[in-house]
Amino acid sequence: MSEKEKTKGGKGLSFSQEGIVFLLTLALFVAFSIILPNFLTSGNVIALMRSVSILGMLALGMSLVVIGRGVDLTMVATLVVGVVWAVKLTNDGMPFGEALFYGGLLVSAFGLIVGLIVAFAEIPPIFTTLAMAPVIFGIGNPFLFKQDTHNAPRNVEWLGDLGFGATLGIPNTILVFGLVALVIHLILRYTRFGRSIYAMGDNPLAARMTGLPLRPIIVSQYIMTALVAYLVGLVILASNSGINSRLAYTTLVYDVLLVVVLGGIGLSGGRGGVRNVIVGTLFVGTLLSGMTILNLSLTAQNLIKSVVMMLALIADTLVNPRDEQTSQQGDI
Amino acid sequence: MKLKSTLIGACAALALAGTASAQQELSNASRDSYMEAVAGKRIVYIPMSMTTDLVLTWHAFLQRQADELGYTVDVRDPNWSAEAGARALTQAIGEKPDLIVLQNPDVQAYARLIQRAQKAGIKIVQLNMESLSQSDAYVGADWYGVGYTAGEAIAAQCGGGNGASNKVAVVTGVPTAPVDLFQMSGFRQALEDAGSDVEIVSEQSAGYDPSKARAITSSVLQQHSDLCAAFGIWDGQDAGIGAAIKEAGMADQVFLVTSGGGAQTSCDRVEDGSFDMFIEYDARMQGQALNTLVATLLQSDREAGAEKLVYYGPNYIVTPETLNPASCFVVDEGQ
Amino acid sequence: MSATDTLVRLRYRFLPDHMVGEILSKRWTDNAIPFTALVLTLAIFGNINPGMFSAFGLYDLAGQISEFGLLAIALTLVMISGGIDLSIGSVFALCALTVLTALNVYGLPLPVAVLLTLAVGAFCGAINGVLIGYMRLRAFLTTLVTLVMFRSIYEMILPKVATDIVLGMPDSVVWDNLGFSSFLGLPYAFYIAAVIAIVWHIVLSRSRPGWHIAAVGGARRSAHNAGINVRLVICLTYVFCGMMVAAAAILFAARLTSVGTDTGLGMEISVLTAVILGGTTLGGGRGSVAKALIGSVIVLIMTNGLLQMGVIGTVSALILGVVLLLAVWLDVRWVKNRQKLIDSSYVSPAYIQLKDEDTNTSVYTENDKLRNVETIGLGQVEGPEDVAVDRHGNVYSGSRHGEIHRWLAPDFKEHEIFAHIGGGTFGMNFDKDDNLVVCVGGMGLYMVTPEREVVKLTDETNRSWTSVIDDSRIQLADDLDIAPDGRVFFSEASIRYTVHDWPVDMIESRGNGRIICYDPRDGSTKTVLRNRIFPNGIVCLPDGESLLFNETWACRVCRYWFDGPNKGKVEVVLDGLPGYPDNINRASDGNYWVCLVGMRGPALDLAMTRPSFRRRMTRRVAPANWIYPNINTGCIIKITAEGEVLESIWDKGGVNHPMVTSCKEHEGHLYIGGVSNNRVGRWKIEGADPTWSSPVDYWGPKS
Repeated sequence: MSEKEKTKGGKGLSFSQEGIVFLLTLALFVAFSIILPNFLTSGNVIALMRSVSILGMLALGMSLVVIGRGVDLTMVATLVVGVVWAVKLTNDGMPFGEALFYGGLLVSAFGLIVGLIVAFAEIPPIFTTLAMAPVIFGIGNPFLFKQDTHNAPRNVEWLGDLGFGATLGIPNTILVFGLVALVIHLILRYTRFGRSIYAMGDNPLAARMTGLPLRPIIVSQYIMTALVAYLVGLVILASNSGINSRLAYTTLVYDVLLVVVLGGIGLSGGRGGVRNVIVGTLFVGTLLSGMTILNLSLTAQNLIKSVVMMLALIADTLVNPRDEQTSQQGDI
Repeated sequence: MKLKSTLIGACAALALAGTASAQQELSNASRDSYMEAVAGKRIVYIPMSMTTDLVLTWHAFLQRQADELGYTVDVRDPNWSAEAGARALTQAIGEKPDLIVLQNPDVQAYARLIQRAQKAGIKIVQLNMESLSQSDAYVGADWYGVGYTAGEAIAAQCGGGNGASNKVAVVTGVPTAPVDLFQMSGFRQALEDAGSDVEIVSEQSAGYDPSKARAITSSVLQQHSDLCAAFGIWDGQDAGIGAAIKEAGMADQVFLVTSGGGAQTSCDRVEDGSFDMFIEYDARMQGQALNTLVATLLQSDREAGAEKLVYYGPNYIVTPETLNPASCFVVDEGQ
Repeated sequence: MSATDTLVRLRYRFLPDHMVGEILSKRWTDNAIPFTALVLTLAIFGNINPGMFSAFGLYDLAGQISEFGLLAIALTLVMISGGIDLSIGSVFALCALTVLTALNVYGLPLPVAVLLTLAVGAFCGAINGVLIGYMRLRAFLTTLVTLVMFRSIYEMILPKVATDIVLGMPDSVVWDNLGFSSFLGLPYAFYIAAVIAIVWHIVLSRSRPGWHIAAVGGARRSAHNAGINVRLVICLTYVFCGMMVAAAAILFAARLTSVGTDTGLGMEISVLTAVILGGTTLGGGRGSVAKALIGSVIVLIMTNGLLQMGVIGTVSALILGVVLLLAVWLDVRWVKNRQKLIDSSYVSPAYIQLKDEDTNTSVYTENDKLRNVETIGLGQVEGPEDVAVDRHGNVYSGSRHGEIHRWLAPDFKEHEIFAHIGGGTFGMNFDKDDNLVVCVGGMGLYMVTPEREVVKLTDETNRSWTSVIDDSRIQLADDLDIAPDGRVFFSEASIRYTVHDWPVDMIESRGNGRIICYDPRDGSTKTVLRNRIFPNGIVCLPDGESLLFNETWACRVCRYWFDGPNKGKVEVVLDGLPGYPDNINRASDGNYWVCLVGMRGPALDLAMTRPSFRRRMTRRVAPANWIYPNINTGCIIKITAEGEVLESIWDKGGVNHPMVTSCKEHEGHLYIGGVSNNRVGRWKIEGADPTWSSPVDYWGPKS
């Protein structure tokens, strides 16, 4: 991994936020490997990767909108409602495949609504999605389901494989993560749609004036994010053989946002890519895994996590200072 | 019905003599006065959130009895926010209902408000978690007992060289939640009482999120491949522990103990081997006891705060061996 | 005059069209949508929940509003400066914990506990402030991280003191009263919060620090370039935000006297909802205390109402989300269209029937007398609206660039910048101590001493209660003269438009101007005459109790008595001028020079009696294509104090002196200024007294 990063990133890497976070990750990894005897085993590294792949996949979906100067805080609510509803339909007697299809339609509809509001009502995405998250969850509970715990249907073999199976010694979840990363990378780098997202994130006005169909792009972005979230929901369902709607109450979506931004995708859009998300994910994964092995309490973990993240943010600012003349208005 | 009448008996024993005597003879006069005492009264029910099996079950019980006896139950759903709950409680105090049924989020949050309600002459039944302020009645699980039972079982399983090792991992929800603290103190006490050499090698919090529980357990299993047992604080979260153990292929080696209100989803997990031992603080039993206490308090002429009735629900142990169709229940979602 | 004309005249006299635009352009109309939402919410939930307005309901609501409102104001502060603070929930929890621990566990006296808590809030805010203000981290992420950080600290401390907090009883009557007693049916906390809110309202809307905050949020780069210490301002907003959160936490702690594990959890979201609902925008520059409070009340009433109606929590969150989206959507539309609405309704032309020109006299016959004018300082000055000549014959003029130029006698070759004031300098005259008193556009009345020291005399007058727009500021001081007792009378041409929009004021011809008196003896400023149609030139008569002033768009000269038996009287001395009079000044023979800046035309005269036509023109036609007064030709006339026109002098082709706005006589010469000229003219007056000079005429000879 490190070799690849270095050759691809080149000279600029070590000076960007991505580079700083990557160096920090390396430092942490080395430190943990020395301190903790069992840290550097293939099993642990795989477990580490596996444990952050959900976060990573969500971050990949999030990065799609963030690069386009948006943000989607509805991801977790969308995945919970879509997947729980599909599971409930299955438990009520519908074939799982069919239920999944309806769940997919539902989350696409959610993405569509969010996208339409952002694109046409011109409400800033952060508020649209902030307000839409409880709306989506409120539609799910109580109108589509009521109870919080739902078990996965037992007789679906591929679901078990997704959650517990492994291919060539690598858990399928990690493979799915890799696949999602690859697809999003290809979309962002090699399709007209992907280039449009960058153009839009960089300068929406200029993008519109050059004739890019901004509104359709925005809408499809949010639909894609919703579908990625739905896929992540399936992975969660598979790996815990069930899903709990309480997930929608957690601050998971902020962790996702932090991963995206830590990796170096600015909230002001137009910058970064899949590699940044992976760096951010590895950073958080390494930190969490090490602290879990050290058996630190959740509170201490949160404190350390926040301090380290703050250090990364400060380091970025010191290396890439901003000042009054260059900062963008409204860029928070 | 049989269960119900036994419970009424049990609670009557708990209750003070004055109300207990009403049960002695089944004359029409006492029935009439009973019906009259409860009819038209108003209860405000303030749970934490209308989503969990416990809360939905309590509500189903409350509502059923209210419909039968002709009083009303108004739900105030704070949606997991203690702050909104405090507002609901303050509002309820202003409305002066006959009784407030309250689920405490923790021991402190509503302490002063409960005192205020009692001063205002409103009776309060607390659910699930006892506040530092006592009120007329409390119904809830015996959290300490849950932890103690789990500790005993794990001591027996892993202590004295019985298991793969003497290592046990604990996954709590949030480290500051009283439910977790009580369970943990019971758990530790049981280990100590058993005099076993069982060692807690990891004590992590997953924030009630099964995915986090799974990640934590995976890490722990990497570190301690000879782990003997795991203890989780809440069944909804501990599905993740079971999944991690299953993935590592250690289902036979690691003994997973968890607890919950007894929704069918939990028994399904016992059945598929995710949970080795499920300690059930039966929500149905709590619902019955709640109804009895509600009826008792609605009849009683005594002032708010005059009585301090307490009911700890018994803990049932469900294992693959003892599992039967009646062990769990399907939550009544149709309201 | 026909009947329809009369009707039109009456309609435009009595229907105050101009108020629509003026009301719309008040800052508070920015709150129209949130305020409507508030009224709707109150109406709907008041109907559903009559208990809300019962004594207990109000008491309860007031207590919650005081806490929630303070939090909303705290976040508003930060958001106006262009930031955001997501850590308020955690800071709130920490502060509530601090005050309770100090009181219940350590038994500290209440003032110490309160100070300690405010210090904790300020410290947390300072961490955010230093990181975001000085180190330039991004606010959203930084506070997202500090949210986790502060919360972890809270969770570490809480278990150690939780039980003691509930068991301990502080020995303070004030504390108990704060939480549980009431005054006039409302809790004490409410009054405390109200005072804090009013203080912040004044700070934000009426003080320099408040404007700095808005400036930083509105345009950070411009604020920096304007010399505002942007970093300090941003840092301080976070510090004050922290302190306000601490204040809210103290009130909360007094009310509930306990904290739980989830105190303040998710609070940032509900406060943010309230603030945005109130109409404060993310990204800075727009926001106020009123907005914060409106938003808080809406959110509180809605959540309480839904809770009380027994709506399932998730559904009430759904409803709240939909309402938030609707409100923000409407607000986005409102902000987008308000300016358009103002633009289309602000200009409200009035009816004015100009008196026909006097065609019986030949005094206005065009001639070429002005053709031989000498030029002074050609190209050295831009826009000398007025000129002045001192006792030594040096010539002064104003300029568009905010400078006062001086050309030294006798040959006026030597040119210098006499003083720099900063605003476009218009009318000027010398007082008896040889100070040059100047009207400065956008700034007010200033004085330049012979030592070149610039002194502000006044920049505001009394606010008139009937005016919708704030007319206390002097924004278009135009010309002045000084009475023998030293009082300065000056005209403000328009209170509705700035100098650049003078053509619009012409289209309106509404009587937006006034005459103001500045009295140097007690430093007071008072408006003495209102609703004049572009009052422009002013000259005091030697009688010491009256003055002549020109009303430009009304094409007339009026006399006003400010003292004596006729005090307060206004009389038209000369009506129906063929052009638009600008300045008026004394001539050596006891008459007055009046400069006509432009000439009337029949089309525009007719248009003045058709206000609706002019209104349509301003709405539908681009400004470049409007009908404007002709200001390419002008002339100077000499009149008597009684209004008799004696002569007129012209520069027919506009070759040497295209525009005339002002002229001053000095030692047999007329010095001429023009607001769009690049020179000062000097014209020899045939037969004039070659020794007469204006300062001597006004103040007598001086050694």
